[in-house]
Amino acid sequence: MPGRKLGIGLDVGSTTTKIVMVDSQGDMLGSHLVPTGASGAVAARRCLEELTKKSGVGTAGIPTTSTGYGRSLVDFAEKSVTEITCHSIGVHRLNPEIRLLIDVGGQDSKVIHIGENGRPTDFELNDKCSAGTGRFLEVMSRVLEVSIDELGPLALQSNSPCTISSTCTVFAESEVIGRIGAGESPKDIAAGVHAAMASKISTLSKRVGVTTPVCVTGGVALNPAFRHYLSKQIGAELWMPDSPQLTGALGAALLSLGL
Amino acid sequence: MTGRSGKEEKAYRPLKMQDFLQQVLFRHVLEGNAASEQGRLAWVTSGFPVEIPVAMGITPTYPEQYGAVVGSQKVGPTICGFAEELGYSQELCSYARSSIGSTSKPEESPLNGLPEPQALLACNNICGTVLRWHDAISQMIGAPVFLLDTPPVEGEQQPHHLTYVRTGIERLIEFLSKTFSVSLEEERLREVAANSSKAISLWTKSLEACKNKPSPLNCADRFTTMAPVVTMRGTEHIIEFYQALYDEVQERVSQGIGAIRDERIRLLWDNIPPWFSIFKFFNGLAKGGVVFPADTYTHAWSGSIEGEDLFKSAATIYSNVYLNKGLQAKVDKMVKLIKEYDLDGFVMFSVRSCKRYSLGQLVSKELVTEETGVPGVVIEGDMVDSRLFNDAQIQTRIDALLEMFE
Repeated sequence: MPGRKLGIGLDVGSTTTKIVMVDSQGDMLGSHLVPTGASGAVAARRCLEELTKKSGVGTAGIPTTSTGYGRSLVDFAEKSVTEITCHSIGVHRLNPEIRLLIDVGGQDSKVIHIGENGRPTDFELNDKCSAGTGRFLEVMSRVLEVSIDELGPLALQSNSPCTISSTCTVFAESEVIGRIGAGESPKDIAAGVHAAMASKISTLSKRVGVTTPVCVTGGVALNPAFRHYLSKQIGAELWMPDSPQLTGALGAALLSLGL
Repeated sequence: MTGRSGKEEKAYRPLKMQDFLQQVLFRHVLEGNAASEQGRLAWVTSGFPVEIPVAMGITPTYPEQYGAVVGSQKVGPTICGFAEELGYSQELCSYARSSIGSTSKPEESPLNGLPEPQALLACNNICGTVLRWHDAISQMIGAPVFLLDTPPVEGEQQPHHLTYVRTGIERLIEFLSKTFSVSLEEERLREVAANSSKAISLWTKSLEACKNKPSPLNCADRFTTMAPVVTMRGTEHIIEFYQALYDEVQERVSQGIGAIRDERIRLLWDNIPPWFSIFKFFNGLAKGGVVFPADTYTHAWSGSIEGEDLFKSAATIYSNVYLNKGLQAKVDKMVKLIKEYDLDGFVMFSVRSCKRYSLGQLVSKELVTEETGVPGVVIEGDMVDSRLFNDAQIQTRIDALLEMFE
């Protein structure tokens, strides 16, 4: 596409690496995601190769911005920006009304207040603990012997969720094993797990202040039970973009073009 | 946003008087060793009215400063580990663990630990842990403990409250007289108090010079040069030191030289620093044009013992230290510093060890932003125990704050 100005954003997260390409209008032309695995740098390269294959556009010379915990590992990016700013900008592009963004990824969760210009004005991240992250759900799905995609729908079948401690993934795992031993049903345990996690993130959200409308992004946003319990606990409807995992990469791509 | 272009010239300008600082601190170590041998050494907490023991011929030394040495030498996990081997919790203050750990295994600790004291003087105006910490040391080495109790001050200090602390100071003098067979001469106390005032006054002038743009001092400069005003308050020789510091600061101001090369963003720092990476941390930020012209910690040493009733004056000053006041006083102080030093934002270091300093930071963050309109961020870690400091998490939080200024 000669003469067309393009931008690339790469979000190297702890669990998944995402890439997005946008055109000069900021519209998404292509995207791809791969598991980050042991090397963020390798995952970033793989994403770039896949994007080239999918879009049919050579990526050489296209301005690139990296974000996410592995942002400094992307040696072909001209600049790196935190995921806090990138998610804000990405979400603002998709829905400029959003004032509170809750992003729950594999190993962190963040709550960002977005200003009218699309930039973050305040934020909180989870502390050194995985209890409010995707990792928590991964551990619990393993214990309940269901896939991560099945965990949410299973939880939504419950009418009486178990009480699960939300303080620590490791201790909550022991608690779940105890519940299984006590004969509790997997759906009630799964519901308790989601309620516990939503409670942790709801507390984080209240620290920043729940200002509607609220958006939820990150891989965990795809889980319907998580959205159900979070919405209930913060007392607000949640808006979710079509691809909630890509907003960070989208924001980075927009920044590559100075949009 | 973090650009990728590296620059060769150093972003941070070291002070010329760093050598002088080393000499003063070395002298402090030697004097401590000599005093221990002569039976006139006391360990004191950082907020202790040290002018009184100094006026009575007793040399003080500071376990908290020793904790900073342990941190700076990057042996926090090892020395704190010695205390943990004895059964102390990892949740205990890392200054206390450094002190207890090094007392347990001095031969494996920096400087072979602190020299052995004949008394342990604690003032709980900085935290409540100091009493139990000194009790623990007392059990290990046998020196007696004296506690100067300064109940927290909320709002204005009540007269009965002041009388209570003043009585504590009288008891302190009795304790020192009995323990060290010495006495207090009022004239000598006035001299010591005057020395203390002169040093503090020069120190305060250097701090206030940081209102200039560019700021002549950065956080690490103040955290290192504050050591004498903490540990040698009341002695004559540190006046010369603070005069030299002030001269260098004035020289920088008059020539428009900043502590960092390209000052772009001015921030407030709240709490004790991560001693194990103090230069790496602040100099790293300096590369991005970030300077810290003010902090809540090095501004804590102010006020002079003076007037007719010196004991009352000491009781007032030492009851009203920053950490002994309520949350509102802390918020007010931060707001004042942000306004007076024209700062763009603030970084609050939530120190796992120091509950007294860190408690309420989430609330005060909101209040400070409300009152000043500038953004802030809370980062978590510890001052000595590097096991609790996660570089990547901290970097993301700080970078996100800096991106708010773009």
